[in-house]
Amino acid sequence: MMRGLRAAWPIALGYFPVAIAFGALGVQAGLSPLWVQLTSLLVFAGASQFALVGLLAQGVPPLLAALLGLLLNLRHAFYGPALRPYLKGSPLEAFFLTDEVFALALRALPGLPPGERRGYFLGLGLGAYLSWNLGTAFGALWARGLLAWPGLREALAFSLPALFFLLALPHLRNPVALLAGGVALAFHLLGQTAWGLFLAGVVGLLGERRQP
Amino acid sequence: MTLALFLLALATFLLRFLPWRAEKNLRAGQAGPALVVALFLVSAFGPPPSSEWLRALLALFGTYLGTRLTGNLGIAVFLGVGLYGLLGLL
Repeated sequence: MMRGLRAAWPIALGYFPVAIAFGALGVQAGLSPLWVQLTSLLVFAGASQFALVGLLAQGVPPLLAALLGLLLNLRHAFYGPALRPYLKGSPLEAFFLTDEVFALALRALPGLPPGERRGYFLGLGLGAYLSWNLGTAFGALWARGLLAWPGLREALAFSLPALFFLLALPHLRNPVALLAGGVALAFHLLGQTAWGLFLAGVVGLLGERRQP
Repeated sequence: MTLALFLLALATFLLRFLPWRAEKNLRAGQAGPALVVALFLVSAFGPPPSSEWLRALLALFGTYLGTRLTGNLGIAVFLGVGLYGLLGLL
């Protein structure tokens, strides 16, 4: 598990400033720090948390806000099956399954002995979870003034694209992955990022079915 | 409002857990690589196309050089972040 925890630092580096922004924005939207922290403790899915808080702040009915937030997470349904060759998927493992944890695990798990994979994954997930929740607490409790450093926050937030880039490098000659990426990017440019990512997952599924 | 939060948390968890524990012959195909490439593209290039894309591309190149030179994922990410921050100051 310690190995996974150490390997989580690129994720933690990226999560922390984004989580600070989430905590600060949640409190600025009029929600209590405790409630904002609870979303990070229980949901642990950044985009849907931002959506939930943003929609509530705009007066959208809570259940509708939750449903819209959930739509952003539809792509998560593909992650577990993609990791099944390496992990059976316990409830705790599933809870930690964010975009970044999935992508890093997909790269690292095949090279690990089977007996070490679960511990590595849990370490990875725990590192990401701690960073996300510490960042949320920091933002929720000391919101004022934190967002006055947009340059630093923006630069640190770039660690997630940089990490995804390194994880995507081995797949950039895979035509199915490139097609899926093109679909996702096209939808993203049209403002439909969540649907684009979901469709990218569908393209990936169909891709292998056509192979012998 | 708290009920909505609990529902979102539960549904997100089930979305991650149930497909993982579904029928064993359910195949993920190439969903893994496809999603990683998709996540990279949508995280690096925000709409609309702008000069920020050039900044991101340059920083990604720095990230690539970082991983070639050091072989360490974390250090490469850190170099990319630093370059991205510096380019923002220009």
